Amino acid sequence: MMEELGITAYKCKKCGRVHYPFHDRCLSCKSREFETIKPEGAAKLLAYTQIFNLPWGFDVRFLIIGVVEFKNGVKAMGQIKADSLDKLKTGMKMKATWEPIRVQAGEDIYGLKLASIK
Amino acid sequence: MRDVAIIGVGMIPFGRRDEDTLLDMLAYASLKALDDAGLGDKSVDCVYVANMGAGILQHQTSVASALVDRLSLIPAAADAVENGPASGASAIKNGLLAVASGYYDTALVAGGEKMREVVGWKATDFVATMTHPEAEYPYGITLPGMAGMFTRLYMEKYGVTREQLLAIAIKNQKMGALNPYAHVEMVITKEGIYDSPDAVVNNPVAADPLHLYDMCPVSDGAAAVVLCPLELAKKIAPKSPVLIAGFGQATDTHTLQERDDPTDLKAVTLASQQAFEMAKLKPKDIDVAELHDAFTILEIAESEHAGFFKKGEGGKAAEKGETSIGGKLPINLSGGLKARGHPVGATGVAQIVDIVFQLRHELDKKRQAKNAKNGFTINFGGFGNNIVAFVLRRVE
Ligand SMILES: [Zn+2]
Repeated sequence: MMEELGITAYKCKKCGRVHYPFHDRCLSCKSREFETIKPEGAAKLLAYTQIFNLPWGFDVRFLIIGVVEFKNGVKAMGQIKADSLDKLKTGMKMKATWEPIRVQAGEDIYGLKLASIK
Repeated sequence: MRDVAIIGVGMIPFGRRDEDTLLDMLAYASLKALDDAGLGDKSVDCVYVANMGAGILQHQTSVASALVDRLSLIPAAADAVENGPASGASAIKNGLLAVASGYYDTALVAGGEKMREVVGWKATDFVATMTHPEAEYPYGITLPGMAGMFTRLYMEKYGVTREQLLAIAIKNQKMGALNPYAHVEMVITKEGIYDSPDAVVNNPVAADPLHLYDMCPVSDGAAAVVLCPLELAKKIAPKSPVLIAGFGQATDTHTLQERDDPTDLKAVTLASQQAFEMAKLKPKDIDVAELHDAFTILEIAESEHAGFFKKGEGGKAAEKGETSIGGKLPINLSGGLKARGHPVGATGVAQIVDIVFQLRHELDKKRQAKNAKNGFTINFGGFGNNIVAFVLRRVE
């Protein structure tokens, strides 16, 4: 588990819009100049779901997946560490870490993991 | 630009078709459309084939070249169109523009998909390949998962209820049971899928808050249409031609999270507005619609974003029966994707075929929208990132 998140986001140097994932031109002003930034600060849960019919590569019964927005405007999808949706609520604060999210060809693939802040 | 009409349509029953290859299905639907157009022993100038997954699911590419060979339409121009679940309507748009431009006089557009020969998780994975390869796909998100997140947000913002979602599922399965081309022929009741001991087993959560019966099935199927200029159609068409009065297409961000308001399906609104403007019609002029209900929530959200109902009113209208047969605006009298099925490349073409049946007034009265003159379709690609809308009009 790593505290350093492997996500690189792109802040437009002209208008300040934050992009993740990458775009070759800014969604707002079409500028091509970006400053790379990391997600920073607390993450707020924007949306979530629990899915049962999983695609290839997951040896679990279900996944809980959500989208969060970090304090500095980076929005990203992640897997939520929870047994059910009971304690989740749109708008709640989450703690983000960088952990294995699936196995591909015998290798761990890392990604964003989210947990509610106790 | 010339006015373009649909002079022939064809479809094969959707479902599990183990005995047919993808090309068999595309050929059967195409031959029915050519026969319907009175061109059973003639050629066409160009062919567009909508398909999303043959490269992945059948390990077969260049399906348009393969289809003209099967149908002996050589040397007609032929192109395959892959635009996710909106491939069908995209292919029809291409055929429309080819004929409207004056370059070609006749176009065959066929859409097909064979999804049942792979196991469930492979089909789910195939559909998930349209999500973002870095920011979404690795997490295991599926299209039902995207729809689940969207549904919760829509419920929170507009007060959509599970009862309203159930009303869509019940209505569309009821219509599907009357449609000989539909995959699902089972009528369901509220008791069977909601608030009963049976419902817990019959209708489990699939992508919270969506349940199994909020989802369309995975299907095999194909559909086809034949297009020509309206003036020519009036001379050669054996059945009453249907005018493509308007179309629209719009795109949106790949990921939901980059939209300012993820409940706002801007591409649906834009594509619909373009289609209405071109047809010089308003939503109130539409008599019958086929919307892309891959998930029950989408029928409600699209009916609002296309302008038929105010935001937050579409679900209530469905519950009151306003979108059922005999209602103010009947939606998905075919059963929709929910019951007709959703062979992804075929869907956009099948929607147009169903509206042509309606506008030619040739359906059984249990499924025929009375005096239908104007029809409307939405074919929904990605999770709302590529939308094609059509307005069709009966030619008297
Ligand atoms: Zn910018």
